[in-house]
Amino acid sequence: MDRRRLIVSLFVLLASMGLAALTGSVSAGMPGQAPGVSDVDPYCAFGSKTAPVTMEVYSDFQCPACKQLFKTTNQPLMDSYVNTGKVYLIHRDFPLPMHAYSRVAASYARAAAHIGKFEVVEQVLFQNQEKWEANGDVKGTVAAVLSPADMKKVQALVDGRTLEPLIDKDKQAGQLIPVNQTPTTVFHSKGQTYPYAGVMSYDILKQFLDQLLSQK
Amino acid sequence: MMQSSPLNFRRAVIWIGRLLLAGIFIYAGYAKLTMGLHPRPPIGVALSFFALQVDSYQILPTWAVKVVANLLPFIEIGLGLLLLIGWKLRIWATLITIVMLGFFFAVVRSYALGLQINCGCFATPEPLTIKTVLRDGALAALAVLMTIFAFQEAANRHPWTARQNSRSA
Repeated sequence: MDRRRLIVSLFVLLASMGLAALTGSVSAGMPGQAPGVSDVDPYCAFGSKTAPVTMEVYSDFQCPACKQLFKTTNQPLMDSYVNTGKVYLIHRDFPLPMHAYSRVAASYARAAAHIGKFEVVEQVLFQNQEKWEANGDVKGTVAAVLSPADMKKVQALVDGRTLEPLIDKDKQAGQLIPVNQTPTTVFHSKGQTYPYAGVMSYDILKQFLDQLLSQK
Repeated sequence: MMQSSPLNFRRAVIWIGRLLLAGIFIYAGYAKLTMGLHPRPPIGVALSFFALQVDSYQILPTWAVKVVANLLPFIEIGLGLLLLIGWKLRIWATLITIVMLGFFFAVVRSYALGLQINCGCFATPEPLTIKTVLRDGALAALAVLMTIFAFQEAANRHPWTARQNSRSA
């Protein structure tokens, strides 16, 4: 390789590294633009508020990928990280307009959360997603796992529409990140924000959480 | 006339391909390691976050996701630098082409399956859209063309370079 070629290559290398550093510093603001963990509905949050890692999951009950994420990660995540105080898990409603019943499902789930029955309703909604998506019977699906007394309370909350602003707040928070698709999980740790879209296997999620938790 | 010029079309494509692909590969690897965050997160956090993005494509088993996530950013930087330097160009151009075709296959498959995921290309939350598919397709085509031309160039050197080589040899 002649000397001229070496000099040109080194020059271009330095230029590209400079460009990379510049672009890096410009885009650095992007993850930081995500709002902190505010406007949390305590009825839809699990674990310790002081946990070193916070996970916000923007989810749509009618979205198949959200169902997949729930099925593959929720239980082991709750057992190993949330219930042990390592992760503060926040459910955020992000009903997509293209899904006819996702807003209704979010309303019932939110109402169930306010009487302490979120987990059971979340589970039944995801497990029977194809069913109520086909017949639109969200109410019947929820009623199947609640006692008549609890269902009455849930129905009153849904009819009263008092919890709708909380769903809207979740959606607005998501739009600021911005959430473009569901599920989107936003991890917060040590003042940093890591937004991630899509499903994930539990092993890979566990590896990431362990890395976040091992930060000093 | 074109053949007698030291900067013909073939050479121009090789140079553009080298500069563009090397720059993109170096930046992509660097971005994956730093995540564009200040202060930079520990490398373990960056690599395990990248593993989430590799996993979202739902192509590889878990062990392979971990291997790819831990190696790819370094491979990208290494290949980018080697391509830029130009030493043994045909080898690095071929490897970059294979990697680019792999990326292209992954984004086309994910787009066709309607997976709602982020590209993960530059460690930013960039949704995988038709724009991503077209961009990766264009870069893969450039890599293929650059590699073909690099082989042609080696087989049929320009008289100026050939003279220079014979003098130095």
